Amino acid sequence: MSLSCSRLSFVALLALAACRGGDAGHRRTLIDARNRYDPKSLDPALSTDVPTGRAVSYIFDGLTRFSPDAKVGPALASRWDVSSDGRTYLFHLRSGVRFHDGSLLHASDVVHSFTRVLDPVNKSGRPWPLYPIAGARDFAAGKAPAVAGVTAVDDSTVRITLDTALAIFPKLLAMPVASVVPAKISPDFGEHPVGTGAWMLASWQHDDYVLLARNPEYFDGAPKLDSLMIRIIPEPSTAVAEFESSNVDLLYVPEADAPRWAQTDEKKALLTSAPALRLWYVALNTTRGPLKDVRVRQALNQALDVHTILDKLLGGRGHVAAGVIPPTLEGADPGRKPYAYDPAAAKKLLAAAGYAKGFDVDLWMPQDPAFVRLAESIQSYLAAVGVRVKLIQRESAAAREASRNGQTDMFVKDWYADYPDAENFLYPLLHGANRGVGGNVSFYENKEFDRIVSLARTEQDSAKRTALYRQADSLSFADAPMIYLFFYNELYAVQPWVKGFVAPTIFNGQKFTDVTVTAH
Amino acid sequence: MGALLARRALLAIPTLAGVVIVAFLLLYVAPGDPVMEMVGERADSATIARLRSELHLDESLPRQFAHYAGGVLRGDLGRSFITGRPIARDIAERFPKTLLLAGTAMLLAVIVGVSIGVLSARHPGGWIDRGGLAIAYLGVSFPVYWVGLLLILLFAVMLRWLPPSGYGRPEFLILPALALGSRSIAFLARMTRSSMLEVLSSDFVRTARAKGAREKWVLVHHALRNALVPVISVLGLDFGSYLTGSILTETVFSWPGIGRYVVNAIGRRDLPAIQGTVLFLSVVFVVVNVITDLAYAAADPRIAYD
Repeated sequence: MSLSCSRLSFVALLALAACRGGDAGHRRTLIDARNRYDPKSLDPALSTDVPTGRAVSYIFDGLTRFSPDAKVGPALASRWDVSSDGRTYLFHLRSGVRFHDGSLLHASDVVHSFTRVLDPVNKSGRPWPLYPIAGARDFAAGKAPAVAGVTAVDDSTVRITLDTALAIFPKLLAMPVASVVPAKISPDFGEHPVGTGAWMLASWQHDDYVLLARNPEYFDGAPKLDSLMIRIIPEPSTAVAEFESSNVDLLYVPEADAPRWAQTDEKKALLTSAPALRLWYVALNTTRGPLKDVRVRQALNQALDVHTILDKLLGGRGHVAAGVIPPTLEGADPGRKPYAYDPAAAKKLLAAAGYAKGFDVDLWMPQDPAFVRLAESIQSYLAAVGVRVKLIQRESAAAREASRNGQTDMFVKDWYADYPDAENFLYPLLHGANRGVGGNVSFYENKEFDRIVSLARTEQDSAKRTALYRQADSLSFADAPMIYLFFYNELYAVQPWVKGFVAPTIFNGQKFTDVTVTAH
Repeated sequence: MGALLARRALLAIPTLAGVVIVAFLLLYVAPGDPVMEMVGERADSATIARLRSELHLDESLPRQFAHYAGGVLRGDLGRSFITGRPIARDIAERFPKTLLLAGTAMLLAVIVGVSIGVLSARHPGGWIDRGGLAIAYLGVSFPVYWVGLLLILLFAVMLRWLPPSGYGRPEFLILPALALGSRSIAFLARMTRSSMLEVLSSDFVRTARAKGAREKWVLVHHALRNALVPVISVLGLDFGSYLTGSILTETVFSWPGIGRYVVNAIGRRDLPAIQGTVLFLSVVFVVVNVITDLAYAAADPRIAYD
């Protein structure tokens, strides 16, 4: 313990000496400038946002994990068996895995970790990935002394029983909140996390940086770099300046800046991209005014030239959406055509619905330059078919709350997958059970759609499940509970001396173990 | 002096009590729900209800206030809803950094601003005066955010003399202090100039010159000391603008101070963090005001408090 501590602080000092002055010459530290705010905590139980989830996934492992191209694979569990009814999972733990404090990983740690997330005392905002476990809801509600569905069979086997079969369960376990923590933890675990992950916390200066040191004993091969520094840079222009001064290695190019970066060859050479599992759309509240009418919602889809919007505002970085399932996921239908841009047809549909003279409607948006521009162009396209849009700009927290309470007619937003599965789009965004806080801010309800999606969730056969996903997506696409915009390809700028970085499709899919920094 | 301090301390109590009440009420009137921020994009109503009761948000407003005020009286600012860390520790971690930034900016502003002011007043209408005035107008007109980005572009990206942002060694302090102080430099220069001009035309300066005192001595010892009284009062009043200015400056320069802390807290509706910071900053204001009053007395013996 003391040995590893002194090693940690030594590495921290080295890294600090090497990189704080912009002396990028000989460091073996990668500096990531993608975070605009500090992680909330490094306690996996509190992870509900990207900066937190990303940091947690460096320090901790779950039973499963995602690769950069968003495939689920073994992590702390080397393999798992599923019962024929799909309700019981046996996870076989990798042997000899140690936490950063030197203690061995046991099956009881897994049981404890999941129980901890569900325990209301820990104020976890995101217990839902573990709700499928039998007895989880009862325990969370204080009706049961323990989570019945998760037990340690022996030191290296965990049995998890679900309420009903759920094919995506292994993907839920790769989410940061399902990370495994030691059974004994300090009261300020969020500040002094101990995991099994590729990186160990060396120091955390709030709002300034998180410094991680390599875990030389990482079970899957120690990281090639000595350390990883996550700098917290709130202002995007400043992050760009840091990148241009060679002080940071990795930059998230702000959406609104994407066209500018692609203009010069010198800058273009530094760009890398991945089709993110991220849908941009306008949620149409199907319970409000003219938006109740499916013809009106279809007309709104036909009134927008999404191709042009994508090209002009985002440098064409993405795919126009013809449904909510991203093209890279099973269940997407490559044959389905997006709504065609046809203002005349849109006007006809509006007239048929009794709105020949158009109508007034509110469009809400968060305070983000990319969304503001998007909303403004939507406003002008809709004006051309007689729909008078009033733009309402709010802080993202306030806009989100209003939409969850059903107070927004239209809300332009995006949805970022927590796990790579079509279910993560169909179920939260459009299932009747998730209206409001669950994510369905269209308040869409279609019994047939709900039935198909619920069926797909329990279906064990992947081909059948894919077919059900596709069917559900087609059904809701025709109902147009949203204006389908596009799937955005996220854009990163990477310094030429960084080797081995693959842009992750899902936010916690890149652990930097294979990344190196060459002399420059 | 002791009596003055005691009286000011007593007067501060109702002020701070008012701050606690107003800050509390304002937050409950404003839209946005901390629990929604805690649960993220996808949530379930059972968790939301549970968090509400864990955080006492389901209780009546007076009860919530009593709960909060009771904590404050015991010296406990509570824990952040979002991070679970004690607010007092968060503030203790960040305020010294803001103080360092604001203090450096202020020092810079005083040295540069007062110097420009004195030199301008010495030869009104001369090139220093006109140049200084031009700089002063520019400084007052440009928003601090923009000045900050401009400084980064010039000194960090183009010239590469200084790091663009961050916290650490002294060189990290220069650009943010300059950005934060720029407005005050301008303000102080104009203030000092007019005040000096007034004093320089007064009888005792003529007398001092008549008895053969050297011009430098007259300027600094006789004129400047008298001209500083309004400058000090401006500085005291301006301290608030340093703290609010630090919100933007800290964001532009990734400075991990209290300004960014409160901005983040507001964005996340982290009620105890906002209330704690507002209360703490109010105490700072009160203290600074008292110090300003004491500084008047030191600068001008005619001012006495009894």
